[in-house]
Amino acid sequence: MSIVIKNLKKSYGDQIIFDDFNLVLQEKKITGILGPSGAGKTTLLNLCCGLEKPDSGTIEGINPTSISYIFQEPRLLPWRTIRENLRFVFKGQSIKKSGSHDKEIDEMLRLVGLDTVGDYYPQELSGGMRQRVAIARAFLYPSELLLMDEPFSSLDLTLKNKLMGDFLKIWEQDKRTVVFVSHNQEEIKQLSHEVLTFSDKPVRILKKETIY
Amino acid sequence: MMISTKLQNKQIQSLIKIGKKIGVALFWVLLWAAAAWWVDSSLVLPSPLDTLKGIITLSGDFKFFVSIGVTLLRVFGGVTISVALGLVLGLIGGLNKPFYEIMNPFVSIIKSLPVVSVIILINLWIASGVVPLVVTFLICFPVTWTNVVQGVHATDDNLLQMAKVYNVSQQRIIRDIYIPAVKPYAVSALMNAIGLGWKVTVTAEVLANALPSVGMNLYYSKIYLETDLLFSWTFVIVMCSYIIEKVTLYIIERNKRKGADQCQLS
Repeated sequence: MSIVIKNLKKSYGDQIIFDDFNLVLQEKKITGILGPSGAGKTTLLNLCCGLEKPDSGTIEGINPTSISYIFQEPRLLPWRTIRENLRFVFKGQSIKKSGSHDKEIDEMLRLVGLDTVGDYYPQELSGGMRQRVAIARAFLYPSELLLMDEPFSSLDLTLKNKLMGDFLKIWEQDKRTVVFVSHNQEEIKQLSHEVLTFSDKPVRILKKETIY
Repeated sequence: MMISTKLQNKQIQSLIKIGKKIGVALFWVLLWAAAAWWVDSSLVLPSPLDTLKGIITLSGDFKFFVSIGVTLLRVFGGVTISVALGLVLGLIGGLNKPFYEIMNPFVSIIKSLPVVSVIILINLWIASGVVPLVVTFLICFPVTWTNVVQGVHATDDNLLQMAKVYNVSQQRIIRDIYIPAVKPYAVSALMNAIGLGWKVTVTAEVLANALPSVGMNLYYSKIYLETDLLFSWTFVIVMCSYIIEKVTLYIIERNKRKGADQCQLS
């Protein structure tokens, strides 16, 4: 089911971010959103996942309990091991003890090349490794919608390419509706099926491109 | 070879550190001794030797240990109850605004009340022996409450947002995000409460005539003009407070190291 955004309005004080904004996001495709910093790309993601509420308008086709989010920073619990961080998002799964999801977790850790560091703490890993854990967490969580807010922006070029490759590999195995936000054209074009270019506030779609 | 040299260096450094501490302590004891020699009246300022003799005399009496034991119980009781309740109610207050708004005026009033007023008032209502415990609780509870509420409010919003998106239960958010985030604040509150607890308990014991107690022994030393014993009791209080603080710190550090060792092992 596609995600349909209708007549969306959102403002912060006098600043109007969205004013009668409409958009349809294709199901099981990666939609890339380009735009200047502060245009409202992250706000759109936050509105989609319920972290922020619209002033008016509707977002249809989203099950609020079925959303994964890869943030700009990995957002891992520093006092929990990598494996425990991944167990954290599973309902009914003990964080400390192994359980029914451990097989999936091990498989995902292997897929992102982190099978040897499951018992490490986040601060013992590099920035790139931590971000890979965030990707693993997003795919492990049973979601229909995956939101990504510049998840590769803090990484160097080699690591970025490797991670984007890993991401596509996992997505091919487990296709979900993805909304990927960035201000980096190359990143967006490399990953997305469709690219939308946002204007500055209030947001308008300047360009719509289908990549493949 | 290199490891053993490193170990030796570490041992030498820790020996130097201990030597420095002993040197500083000796300096102050010598200064005290010089002042006592200059004053030349043990009634006004007893010497370190007089104080030591006082401690030896006191420790020959079983009542000395009973007084310390009972005072210790009051300190532990007051601090434990205030820290435990401060943790639970502070967590609730940090998470629940109406509860915070109900509790906050009460905590603010207790915080601004002079300790002496609290002691005298409580003494009107309850038995003398229990007064120090209740007063310690009333003085230490706001410290823990305030720290824990601050800890909850300072919890990383990014982690909370992540948990919300992933539909993590409130129970798990409290256990795995709030409680670990509040831990450093709770430890700091505990250390403050221990420091405060001793001072408040002994003061309350004096003002409430609580028996048996270290506080009342201090008071008797004062009214019988036994200044050397007054110093001995004060020294005992300082040592007890110091030892408890160090033991608590050791336990906290050991727990921290346990966590770090788990990291290393993995």
